[in-house]
Amino acid sequence: MQIDGIITPLDDQQIQDALEQCKVLVIGAGGLGCEILKNLALTGFKHLHVIDMDTIDISNLNRQFLFRSKDIGKSKALVAAEFVMQRVPGVTIEPYFGKIQDKDDDYYHQFQIVVCGLDSVEARRWINAKLVEMVDEEDPESWKPLVDGGTEGFKGQARVILPTMTSCYECSLDMFNQRTSYPICTIANTPRLPEHCIEWASVLEWPKVWGDVQYDTDNPEHIQWLFETASKRGSEFNITGITYALTQGVVKNIIPAIASTNAVIAAACCNETFKIATMAAPYLNNYMMYTGNDGVYTYTFEHQKKAECPVCGSASMSTTLDPSMTLTELIDWLQEKPDVQLKKPSLRTATQSLYMQAPPVLEQATRANLEKPLSSLIDSGDTITITDAALPVSLQLRVTYAQ
Amino acid sequence: MSFNSQPSIDLKTQKYDRQLRLWAASGQTALENANICLLHASATGCEILKNLILPGIGSVTVVDDKIVDERDLASNFFLEPGHVGTNKAEAVTSLLTSLNEDVAASHRSEAPHALINATPQFFDAFDVILAMDLSDEDLIKLSDFCETNSKILISVYCKGLCGMFRIQAPEHTVIESHPENAVDLRLTQPMDELAAYAASFDLDAMDQTDHGHVPFVVILLQFVEKWKKEHDGKPPKSYSERNELKAQIRAAMRTPDEENFEEALAQLWRLASSNELSSDIRKIFEHPSCDVLTPDSTPFWFAARGVREFVNNQGQGQLPLAGKLPDMKSDTKNYVELQLVYRDKARRDLQTVMEHVHRLLQEVGVSENYVPMEMIELFCKNAAFAKLLNYRSITDEYTSPNTKAIADGLAMDENMAYYLVFRAASRFYAKYKRYPVGSGSDAGGDISRFKDFVSEWLESIGLEVDMETLAKPVTNYVYFKNKEVANLGALVGGLVAQEAIKMITHQYIPINNTCVFNGIASTSSVFEL
Repeated sequence: MQIDGIITPLDDQQIQDALEQCKVLVIGAGGLGCEILKNLALTGFKHLHVIDMDTIDISNLNRQFLFRSKDIGKSKALVAAEFVMQRVPGVTIEPYFGKIQDKDDDYYHQFQIVVCGLDSVEARRWINAKLVEMVDEEDPESWKPLVDGGTEGFKGQARVILPTMTSCYECSLDMFNQRTSYPICTIANTPRLPEHCIEWASVLEWPKVWGDVQYDTDNPEHIQWLFETASKRGSEFNITGITYALTQGVVKNIIPAIASTNAVIAAACCNETFKIATMAAPYLNNYMMYTGNDGVYTYTFEHQKKAECPVCGSASMSTTLDPSMTLTELIDWLQEKPDVQLKKPSLRTATQSLYMQAPPVLEQATRANLEKPLSSLIDSGDTITITDAALPVSLQLRVTYAQ
Repeated sequence: MSFNSQPSIDLKTQKYDRQLRLWAASGQTALENANICLLHASATGCEILKNLILPGIGSVTVVDDKIVDERDLASNFFLEPGHVGTNKAEAVTSLLTSLNEDVAASHRSEAPHALINATPQFFDAFDVILAMDLSDEDLIKLSDFCETNSKILISVYCKGLCGMFRIQAPEHTVIESHPENAVDLRLTQPMDELAAYAASFDLDAMDQTDHGHVPFVVILLQFVEKWKKEHDGKPPKSYSERNELKAQIRAAMRTPDEENFEEALAQLWRLASSNELSSDIRKIFEHPSCDVLTPDSTPFWFAARGVREFVNNQGQGQLPLAGKLPDMKSDTKNYVELQLVYRDKARRDLQTVMEHVHRLLQEVGVSENYVPMEMIELFCKNAAFAKLLNYRSITDEYTSPNTKAIADGLAMDENMAYYLVFRAASRFYAKYKRYPVGSGSDAGGDISRFKDFVSEWLESIGLEVDMETLAKPVTNYVYFKNKEVANLGALVGGLVAQEAIKMITHQYIPINNTCVFNGIASTSSVFEL
């Protein structure tokens, strides 16, 4: 056990024992996942699981080193697990070729640590919320640290999330760049950039020409059509710079990726996983950002937990409303709230259902409440519990009435 | 409707797609022509090679005379149980080679020490030499060779939960540094064509649609012109004057949501930026290599001098225009016309620079082809962000340690202490033929032994150090137990490969010259020593 910055001697048998008893889930077997599996196996973890829903593509081979040309088309999770088990004797890796959402609480309960090398915000939100949700104060085993890494070009970040205790993924949602989106009026009427022409081809022209047929971003013929169509539009408007590569990049939202950045971030994540499992050295508290395009630069800091975070916050959201506001008006208000992003919320209190979207019989039973003023349904100071398919956990909203 | 048979994109381009988007075909070609030598097939060394082989480096050669021991398997992914008892270089090469069929991988079953001392001409064939865990003596010899023969040398030490590396290289120039925010709109000194274009808009006479589609560049230039007429020909200079201008622009908005006017307000700060050349480009212009051109000058210096001639003459103090226009609220016609104004000026500036370069080449008696057109074009597009890095040789550093930088570093950054501890450990090994690892009950013995050793060494190089600042790093080093830790090898392997790629492609900016990664605190530091 490390004390005050002095580590445990690395040949201490307790370290080996701790590693062997620790079951780790690796989410993602791509650029980060391949590195994570290699590192954890070599470190001395013996029981790993890996989940990935993708198959291997030729463009993966510049960095996802567990895969070869002969593996193109196969499941990443299956091929990665097999490769590492064959190379590093003594480790067992159980792969799952599918979505993280396919697995239930019992599945996740078996692990001590979860390490993510994902490429999607949605998937990270889901696993983050799942682990927060699973925390049962009566059961210390229900508490699973989450180590999360992400990369883009020469940049990346690694963080340690202790569910309910530290800042979680949802707490930092506003830190991440939204994907560039172009206004539809620009695409339709006033294109200026080659990207606008490509979006016109994919968003407007394709459905016009092909109707219900969706374009497949992995189909080179579809990309070629989009490229040629975008180019024609470009020449109409005197816009240059449309290339096949740019077309691909825009429609697939391609993020540049190289082996070295993935190596750095994955290793940082595995180093933290090692420290969490063995307590041999202090682990990251809690965020390390990395940029490698200009020198080598890391920024290590503690990201603050948000009290009102919908996933891990203890403070419920509170608001002051007009008592004559109807339930429908409240639902409209919730749908428009940008930091919550609800689609079809259901509302209830501790004692009654206010409005439930499903099942049909409950929806019918509560429909009458929609037009009632709030004051007839709840008292000032009451808390409404809001659930929604888009939200990983329920939201608590404390309502007080304006005088 | 049907699909045209699409031109097949070759497999290599498909495979390397994700990295080509970072360094393009020119960077890829540079990588594919580079030859790398690894001295000592350590876990870290193999990780570095993995990260160079995967993107398609030209060739790698692994040098090691050691025999694979079972303990080596624990941290090195490129060793299998079947390799125990065989030569380490041969073993790792057999597994590294399967990472990428485009790369030529070979090995040499010999001690790096022998090659460095007896047959250094072995290193002629390489562009980059990666040296793992060399003794000071061998490193200095290798450093001298690399300095004389213009090789890139990266010296790496990685143990336990920390690692460090040091780059030595010939003068390194970067034209394509890929800056994040590189937009030069010339708002404070618009060229004639831009001023004329901006003046051609009659905002007041426009209908609502057109008014809302005037590019913000035009709006800013027009309002600055108006201001100048009302202020004795002077543009807004102070913060409060610019605020006044902002208020004037805001007042001219016809509706509260005219995006182009919002952009003009948001971009008004550009009027405050100075036209001065960046210190980076000034350093290049002021360098003797820019003054004195000979047939031995590299193409970079001819190009740099050509740009300098432009700046001092036709440019009137300004660099050639890069010509890029960021996106902005505008109709297509105005945007394309405005873009053309910038592009035409950039083209003319490029033409002038080219004429300067060709004249300079002629004066020195060198062929015009010596400086490719593409390089001059790249320079003109990126001149404001070009970089020149001069690396101090390792021999120089080791014989005359930069005690000021070390003392300053120690005062603020515990990673400087780890740098010193790694350096000291190397010297400890040279003296006692073992690393300070303690053993069982005597861990404490080695800790104090090593502490004294470090203290003596620092004193000998003229450093007065409070050994308390070094107590934890010294203790932790002993507790590393001379272990190669896979995670740190992988991390440092990623960093070193990244730097090697930057050096080889001359794109992005490498460190100068020492990096320490601290896996205990999860921090990194860069020092110039």
